[in-house]
Amino acid sequence: MSYKIAVASSDGQQIDESFGSAKRFIIYEVTDGIYRRLEERAFCEEGTDNNDVSVVDGCNSSVSCKNEGGCGSGTGGGCGGAGEASAKVDLVSDCRCIVCKKIGFHIQKQLERKAISAFDVSVSVEEALEKISHYFTRMDNHESLRVQK
Amino acid sequence: MAKLLDKQRYKCALGAMQTVQAITRAIPILHSGPGCAQKLSDGTGSSGYFSPNIFPCTSINEKDVVFGGTKKLETTIENALKVIDADLYVVLTGCIPEIVGDDTGEVVSRFEDADKPVIYASTAGFKGNNYIGHEQVIDAIIDQYLEKSEEKEKGLVNIWADVPYQDLFWLGNIRELEKLLAEIGLTPNTIFGYNRGIDQINKIPKAEFNLLVSPWVSVGNMKKMEKKLGLPWLHLPTLPIGAFETSKFLREVSKFAGVDEEKVESVIDGHENYYYYLIERYADLFLENRVINKQFSVVADAQYALGITKFLANDLGLVPAKQFIVDDTPKQYREAIAEEFKKLNFNLQADVIFETDSYKIHEQIKEHDYHGYPLILGSYYEKELTESLKGNYLNIAWPVQDKVVLDDFYAGYTGGIRLIEDIYTVAVQRFN
Repeated sequence: MSYKIAVASSDGQQIDESFGSAKRFIIYEVTDGIYRRLEERAFCEEGTDNNDVSVVDGCNSSVSCKNEGGCGSGTGGGCGGAGEASAKVDLVSDCRCIVCKKIGFHIQKQLERKAISAFDVSVSVEEALEKISHYFTRMDNHESLRVQK
Repeated sequence: MAKLLDKQRYKCALGAMQTVQAITRAIPILHSGPGCAQKLSDGTGSSGYFSPNIFPCTSINEKDVVFGGTKKLETTIENALKVIDADLYVVLTGCIPEIVGDDTGEVVSRFEDADKPVIYASTAGFKGNNYIGHEQVIDAIIDQYLEKSEEKEKGLVNIWADVPYQDLFWLGNIRELEKLLAEIGLTPNTIFGYNRGIDQINKIPKAEFNLLVSPWVSVGNMKKMEKKLGLPWLHLPTLPIGAFETSKFLREVSKFAGVDEEKVESVIDGHENYYYYLIERYADLFLENRVINKQFSVVADAQYALGITKFLANDLGLVPAKQFIVDDTPKQYREAIAEEFKKLNFNLQADVIFETDSYKIHEQIKEHDYHGYPLILGSYYEKELTESLKGNYLNIAWPVQDKVVLDDFYAGYTGGIRLIEDIYTVAVQRFN
């Protein structure tokens, strides 16, 4: 069984970006406990390109905000908080979990609704992938996580 | 195959948070998932300055399972020290951090220099129940807090009995034991309940000896204290209930402590005279009701099963049917405990069964011929069963649903009288 992990890292080495500010996610695929880099997914919401427009025309008007689906921060429904799933959540909706430095409460809830785990940690990408793939492998095979001391 | 346990009568080792709570101004810091304290804090009598709802908790989640929860534990302890004014902080670990291998001891050791003592006990549920958890908390106090004392206080005796909160009558019982020791001229020291806290813990090493009143709980603690603090200990397995056992208890304690025999006998006389004055006055009630309860069963932990069986047989002359010990007594203690049930007056002997599964217990009670209505002293689980057998039922063990106990007790002479009152209140209600 294989699954995908989305990682928010600016340099591919450290988990150093928060979910909200990440401009791209590196997608890893894990098959039988072994992970490999699959692709990168850039987040190019219209709001990113038309940031100024969005601020001026969007955020001051809730109607416009809803239409544009975001106030530039990439949280989607930015004015409304926990509304519909943001475009960014959609971007990683096929992943089993996302790893980032920080994540907001509402986004976490949106991910939970799609059964996507979020890990907010400040470690190296390698460590994160090792630990997460170990964890999921154990879970999938109904094995104990117990550490033998 | 997985084993199902029907209606167990104890909690997981993390239930030892109640042992910590029983020490005034001590607070548990839980390294566990959210909800553990909520589930473990049952019953009444646990609100107050610290209550389970405000116990600091790391509330660990999936992230901590994958990446470890030690960082969260460190900040939780750090902030608990800042915002909670307590005398002793006891970190207790639940199953999850123990399974994934968090080194709680290492994190706690970083607080060695804190203004207040921070200790820890690994109370993971898979290591045992809350009786074991209770021992682990006391072990933690001995190992990580207490130091041997050269200075001894004459006549000072530490008293240890069973598990606070798990034992419905823990507070009243331990106070009554204190009172009895004080009457024969000793100075009792206990660490649980009102006005007992860090000062009493500090006094432990200065005692002349430890007195353990319990069939098996805390035997390990006594051995540890003997080794580390050089404290000899006297083990009296039977909780003294009623005149027979209490007089025996006083004689044994005073012999061990070297108290003047004459003084002890005069204390015993005083109590026994009053005790039998009461028994005499109500002898007609006991005789008339004898026909309804020829035989009895106790379904409780080792402490109550033994204490009450001895009381009902020795003091009231009732005949024991099968007795059930439900606290998952460790195997090494079982033989000695079963032996105690054979030492009853009037050549009586009681069969004792160590069983944790209520279904099996109830089947055996149903099968037994009590030669009339049974008298069942047990937990709330026995209520319906006893009703179906038209027996008399008294709730004396956890879980407790139909009784409120603030500081009532069954220990000692007075405790015996209280138990008689409770049993015969049930008996007379049957006809009135």
